[in-house]
Amino acid sequence: MKRIVLAIAGTVAGLAALLSFKSHTALSARGALPAASLPSASPATPAPSTSGPSTSRPSRSAPSSSPPSASTGTRTVAGQAVQTQYGVVQVQVVLSGNKIKNVSFLQLTAYDPRSEAINSAAAPILLQQTLAAQSSQIDGVSGATYTSEGYVQSLQSALDQAGVR
Amino acid sequence: MTATLPAQQVARRPPQRLRISAPTALALIWAGGLASVALWWKDTPFVIGLGGWLTNAGRITGLLAGYLLVVLLALMARIPALERGVGTDQLARWHGMIGRYTVSLAVAHTLLIIWGYAVSAHTGVVAQTGTLLTSYPDVLMATVATGLLVAVGVVSARAARRKLRYETWHFIHLYTYLAVALAFSHQFSTGADFVTNRPARVLWSALYIGVAALLIWFRMAQPVVQALRHRLRVVEVRRESPDTVSIWLTGRHLDELGAEPGQFFRWRFLAKGLWWAANPYSLSAPPRPDLLRITVKASGDHSKALTSVRPGTAVLAEGPFGAFTAARRRHRRVLLLAGGVGITPLRALFESLPGGPGEVTLVYRAGSPRELVLRDELEWIARDRGAQVHYLLGPRGHGRRADPLSAATLARLVPGLPAHDVYICGPPGMTHEARRVLRQAGVPRRQIHHESFTF
Repeated sequence: MKRIVLAIAGTVAGLAALLSFKSHTALSARGALPAASLPSASPATPAPSTSGPSTSRPSRSAPSSSPPSASTGTRTVAGQAVQTQYGVVQVQVVLSGNKIKNVSFLQLTAYDPRSEAINSAAAPILLQQTLAAQSSQIDGVSGATYTSEGYVQSLQSALDQAGVR
Repeated sequence: MTATLPAQQVARRPPQRLRISAPTALALIWAGGLASVALWWKDTPFVIGLGGWLTNAGRITGLLAGYLLVVLLALMARIPALERGVGTDQLARWHGMIGRYTVSLAVAHTLLIIWGYAVSAHTGVVAQTGTLLTSYPDVLMATVATGLLVAVGVVSARAARRKLRYETWHFIHLYTYLAVALAFSHQFSTGADFVTNRPARVLWSALYIGVAALLIWFRMAQPVVQALRHRLRVVEVRRESPDTVSIWLTGRHLDELGAEPGQFFRWRFLAKGLWWAANPYSLSAPPRPDLLRITVKASGDHSKALTSVRPGTAVLAEGPFGAFTAARRRHRRVLLLAGGVGITPLRALFESLPGGPGEVTLVYRAGSPRELVLRDELEWIARDRGAQVHYLLGPRGHGRRADPLSAATLARLVPGLPAHDVYICGPPGMTHEARRVLRQAGVPRRQIHHESFTF
């Protein structure tokens, strides 16, 4: 009996100690989330402000898509929210036909100041690479591998949904 | 502390074989557990919010359960170095203890993950359970595995086990293998520490494959190899008392088995009504290159049937097992303390333990003179090597009636008792009582070596 109590108490205490060492609150990028458009683009849908610090596990959440607007021929599609080790990345693209006119972040969170700094440096580069490549086949940003991978995954899920090859 | 033995007797000591001692084995088990937690530590940058706490607690308990499942199997793989160094009964006790802990961890892992995911996704626990079962790969299989582990755990709990036959209990235990197999795939397909971490996957697989290989080799291949090599069969069955028989076995190359006095084999007699069970019996005489002997008391179905086994019966033997050998000895003087049919391994040690006249003493506890077995040869050995044999006869102590086995009696029969190594073998009640009495008489705990019958 004594041994059982010890085992349970020891396990719970050990778990609590381990978890408290790693405990942290999420930071979201300060200010407006970056967005990028093709120069010739007509005013694109402004990126909605961030949904704030996300503590969810949204990697499997169903992506939502707005219905295609027939008048302009542009569609706005949100990608999956992808959880990386350092935060959550979610991308939104505005398409005209198969052309990526505008790409922006719906979510870009980081769990620590350093990741936040890395994210804010990498984000504009990722967006520019996307506009240049017109697909999710981009080089990514070295030093921001996880964010780049999450970004590509979210972007690809948006393109898949829009039926862009 | 180690007494030096005379040179001609050192030559008679068994050759040094690899033994993994209990502290070493425990250190290895702990190191593996720490490595599993380190894997989580390395892969987890941050834990956020209640959902994060619960989910990560679920991940750690899951990792530990996955690791300890392998340890459980390894402890039961009958690895000779562990069997010799730690002892079969001690391994079985660890297996029971770690087993109960592992089942608890697996259940905690399941509940924490459901709860943690539900909190993070802002859904109900029931809905989250549904999602986990249906849309996460292999989680359904893993849930079945947890159910099996709980069922095996409940069945092997001490209270339930007493009501079951050994064979039934053993059979139900085989479901553990199924549980391990079912639980394996979800670790890689959904386990956050493995999905993106290839080296971790490789190491983890190596651990599972390694233990599977040990199990296959030592529990399946080795017995077949031994059976073909040694071709054991019964040569003689001798009645020692109304309910006890000695069975002599012969075979080829028996010296290659490396059996030591005090060890046991699991014997499977290929005869009607006996072939389906392999039961452990100690060698009741030092092994010879052409001859082994066991002594069996009819107590259960199996041992009762054994007393009527015929010469010529083919026998499969797994072993040798057990750490109850001369290697445990630290002192020059030794007391062998037998209870009932527990005399068998001690009879073998009594003949073979090195030591001059007066250095080895045998105390044999039994209910009545009728229950003493192998008495003639014990006295013959005693005369031959100048050792003492004492019998403590009479019913067990109860209420005001004192037990024949007491600290005062032992101190009187065995002068200088605290400077002896004591080997105890007997039924659980007697073993427990004997240890208490010996501690009372001033024998340090680490000089008391015992092996229990029941596994």
